[in-house]
Amino acid sequence: MYAYVIRRLLQFALVLFLGSLAVWAFVFALPGDPATVLTGPDAAPAELAATRERLGLDDSVVQQYVTWLGNAVTGDLGDSYFSAETVRSTLLDTVPATGQLAAFAMALTLLIGIPVGTVVALRPRSWAGRAADAYLTAGLAIPAFWLGLLLIIVFAVQLGALPAASDYVPLFSDPAGAVRATILPALAVAVHASSVLARFLAASLHEVMGRDYIRTARAKGVPERYVVRRHALRNAALPTVTVVGIQLGGFLGGTVVIEAVFNYPGLGRLLYTSIGERDYAVVQGGVLFVVAAFLCLNLLVDVLYAYLDPRIRLA
Amino acid sequence: MAPDTGSALSIRDLTVEFDTPAGVVRAADGVSYDVAAGETLGVVGETGSGKSVTALAALGLLSAGNVRRVTGQALLGGTDLLALPPAELRAVLGRDVAMIFQDPGTALNPVQRVGDQIAEALRVHDRALTAPAARARTVELLDEVGVPNPAGRYDAYPHQFSGGMCQRAVIAMAMANRPRVLIADEPTTALDVSVQAQILDVLRRAARETGAATVLITHDLGVVAETADRLCVMYGGRVVESGTVYDVFARPRHPYTAALLASLPRLDVRADRLTPIPGRPPDLIEAVPGCPFAPRCPVGHDRARCAQERPEPVVTGAGLSACHYPDEAGPPPRAAGPGRDAAAAAAGAADGGAGVQGMTPSRHGEPEKSGPRPDGSRAPDPDGRSAAGSGAAAPRGAPPDGGVALDVRDARKLFPVRTGVFARTSGYVHAVDGVSMRIPAGRTLGLVGESGCGKSTLARMLLRLVQPSGGELTVAGHDLVRANRGELRRIRQRVQMVYQDPFASLNPRLSVGDNVAEPLRLAGGFSRPQRRTRVLDLFDRVGLRPEHTDRYPAEFSGGQRQRVAIARALALRPRLLLLDEPVSALDVSVQAQVLNLLADLQHESGMAYLFVSHDLSVVRQVADEVAVMYLGRIVEAGPAERIYGNPRHPYTRALLDSVPAPDPAGRGTRRRAPLGGDVPSPADPPSGCRFRTRCPFAEERCAAEEPVLRDVDGGLTACHFAETLRGAAARAAGPVRDEVHS
Repeated sequence: MYAYVIRRLLQFALVLFLGSLAVWAFVFALPGDPATVLTGPDAAPAELAATRERLGLDDSVVQQYVTWLGNAVTGDLGDSYFSAETVRSTLLDTVPATGQLAAFAMALTLLIGIPVGTVVALRPRSWAGRAADAYLTAGLAIPAFWLGLLLIIVFAVQLGALPAASDYVPLFSDPAGAVRATILPALAVAVHASSVLARFLAASLHEVMGRDYIRTARAKGVPERYVVRRHALRNAALPTVTVVGIQLGGFLGGTVVIEAVFNYPGLGRLLYTSIGERDYAVVQGGVLFVVAAFLCLNLLVDVLYAYLDPRIRLA
Repeated sequence: MAPDTGSALSIRDLTVEFDTPAGVVRAADGVSYDVAAGETLGVVGETGSGKSVTALAALGLLSAGNVRRVTGQALLGGTDLLALPPAELRAVLGRDVAMIFQDPGTALNPVQRVGDQIAEALRVHDRALTAPAARARTVELLDEVGVPNPAGRYDAYPHQFSGGMCQRAVIAMAMANRPRVLIADEPTTALDVSVQAQILDVLRRAARETGAATVLITHDLGVVAETADRLCVMYGGRVVESGTVYDVFARPRHPYTAALLASLPRLDVRADRLTPIPGRPPDLIEAVPGCPFAPRCPVGHDRARCAQERPEPVVTGAGLSACHYPDEAGPPPRAAGPGRDAAAAAAGAADGGAGVQGMTPSRHGEPEKSGPRPDGSRAPDPDGRSAAGSGAAAPRGAPPDGGVALDVRDARKLFPVRTGVFARTSGYVHAVDGVSMRIPAGRTLGLVGESGCGKSTLARMLLRLVQPSGGELTVAGHDLVRANRGELRRIRQRVQMVYQDPFASLNPRLSVGDNVAEPLRLAGGFSRPQRRTRVLDLFDRVGLRPEHTDRYPAEFSGGQRQRVAIARALALRPRLLLLDEPVSALDVSVQAQVLNLLADLQHESGMAYLFVSHDLSVVRQVADEVAVMYLGRIVEAGPAERIYGNPRHPYTRALLDSVPAPDPAGRGTRRRAPLGGDVPSPADPPSGCRFRTRCPFAEERCAAEEPVLRDVDGGLTACHFAETLRGAAARAAGPVRDEVHS
């Protein structure tokens, strides 16, 4: 188990390093350089040279990367090209908002996805099963941004029950307000995600229910609900955990479109606007954060996997 | 037949139907049987005979979604299980009737501790039982079924248990609530023969201690002969015969039973030719008005009554038989292949030297053959150290035309074991550790051993599907180890393999004809019409109908598919056929057909066979010479007569003792000394003699000094005490060494 976790950690470090290289190289590979973007097309050569000097663009490639990486490790991601703020503080403003949205969305995904997947797998011919199956198909087919618009029209415009544009209301300062502000974008994300999750869970559960150990449990006289809970779900959860990890990583990476639709002040919207403004420092920092978050979640999934599956834990 | 109140379990007229795309399958058709407390009923039948379906349906455990209907009764002490509402049925399951399943590897939940799974069986039926009490009771149960260190093993997970240990845990689970009926569905089929003997022992003890009625469902006639009191033979979803085990084996009253018994290969003698049951089991979709066995029946003689009138089980002699002519059912006349038996016998007598190198005893007075010695001048192994191939390599008379099809010297295969953070190689699994063997053309070497002994790895090495780690491998005169890609391709055309599972080894998307033609296509040089002609010829040779070449594998039964696989292997006229458990996935009656086919093909073509099998009776039937493997090494080898008639290695003897004989007569007095324990890990084999940890005769010397294969009584044996362990005398007297051996 320990060797397994350590091996995963080393892999994590390696991939993060490669990821940082890619993130940094992406800006480096752009036509022109940040200085031209920053100073604008009409800048005087002297101004351009000064900017290049300030940004360290005259150093060697390796030197630039090492400097950037060293700064990034200490939390210094440079300054935003346009606003007066550092990238770090810009990110710090948006990451909690996205984190909260992701948490809400994941909670809804699990709340919807697990029962739906279970019903589809266990009672495919009941009315609940058929309804759940219809939900799956619809959930996969409907684009999230369109669902978001629909939710805004129904709940904000028609019913006036919820705000159309969501602000970030921290959960701990105002729980009710946080729910009101986050529920619609979270739902818009969760419908699709829960359909994916439910589909995986249903397939996995269906397969597990045909396994010999399920028959063994029934032959022991274990009531069916315990057969499902104790024996089937945990085994079926194994492949599903991977899906959940990937989805959560996706949520953190900024549900770019949804945040734009709801004008939600999260990382997604930040990246969206920064790309539009060609504020590459922010894009670089934001993407680096997303990569790191994604890798962390992957690591977490691996560890959770090992925890759930003794065959890996004790190997 | 009124319900017998003395029965613990009575199945009454049970019928099970499934909906399939092809139509309604009646998997069980009016099945009735009884089993009394303390009694063991063996339910015997081939795949699809309905033996398992009946039991599962009786307990409401059929989980397939396409069950169409289940009718009849399953009376457990007067209560009809089929009429019980689900909640009440659950209260009975595991408490009054418990089940043991076929594959212990999958019957346990992989993510739950073994002990917890047993404790669960206790706690669902006794809500008042506390967790510590359930744990204590579980530890007792584990101890009863022979799990060593039960308190420590409680917390282990199934993957940390061997197959045999898993099955013990499943038995512990089944006996937890002292049920009145135990149903064991093929409880030993997935296990090695030595472990099978242990598990049957545990089952017997469990039944005795709980006083339960036992239903033992199996395809293995040896297992029922060894353990059952009464027998119930099923065919085509019906019970065709029942009676006491002694009566049924001594005087079968149904031609199917008689034919089944006749088709078995035996451990004690090699039949000239097996007597297979022609044809294939009935298609349960077509409703047969008459007897389902009629198309294959040797005594029916196409009488109209057999085809038109369904025979009901009637009292015949001491049992029941569902045959219109039960008195004619006796052992069918042995089918005599025209001229083949004599020829085979002659070939058998003209014994060649297939076998482990150096097994050729240089002893004078051996029945010696004439014939060229293509390799007779080979010098003795310079270092006589290698265990398996120690001696000189003078082959005893290879057949005049053939030469040596396979020559293996000191073959090794090491698999690295990777551990730690950087997955460094911390050791090696010695899967094959210095094995030498030789097979002349036209001869068969049988390679036997328990799972994990390296026999399949060795077979794969001979095609270089597994890269050898060392040794010299010469196939049909070609150096396999140093062959480059082109040479390897050519060698592989001379050596072909037939795999165990004919369901997995044929490409399902190609017609069977294309499957067979594929080696020809890959080899090149055959035009389409030539390939077609060749395929038709091959189909004819393996007994398949030429008009079936365009069908797909899914349309064929297991036996037919294995024929297709054999045809494919023969396509390029190989010199050597590697048969890796070729009949172990087949039913007994079909197995005999395939074994006969292989014998015929060898006789016609002079191919050499390496026949890998865990089934000692099958190897007895096919092999000229036999090599016994244990933990990567050959521990004993020699002519089949010597190995089976006069085994000198304790392992060989234990294996032979473990095989249940398909004859209940004298089973009470038969000496059975099943091997204890499991095969040790090949990553860390015991010092000295690898078998010493399970050997009843092991002494200090065995741990210190590894015995080499040496010439003992016309064969090779790697045991320090080979001379003193004399076959018949020692076996009768039990584990007493005969010290006065001259």
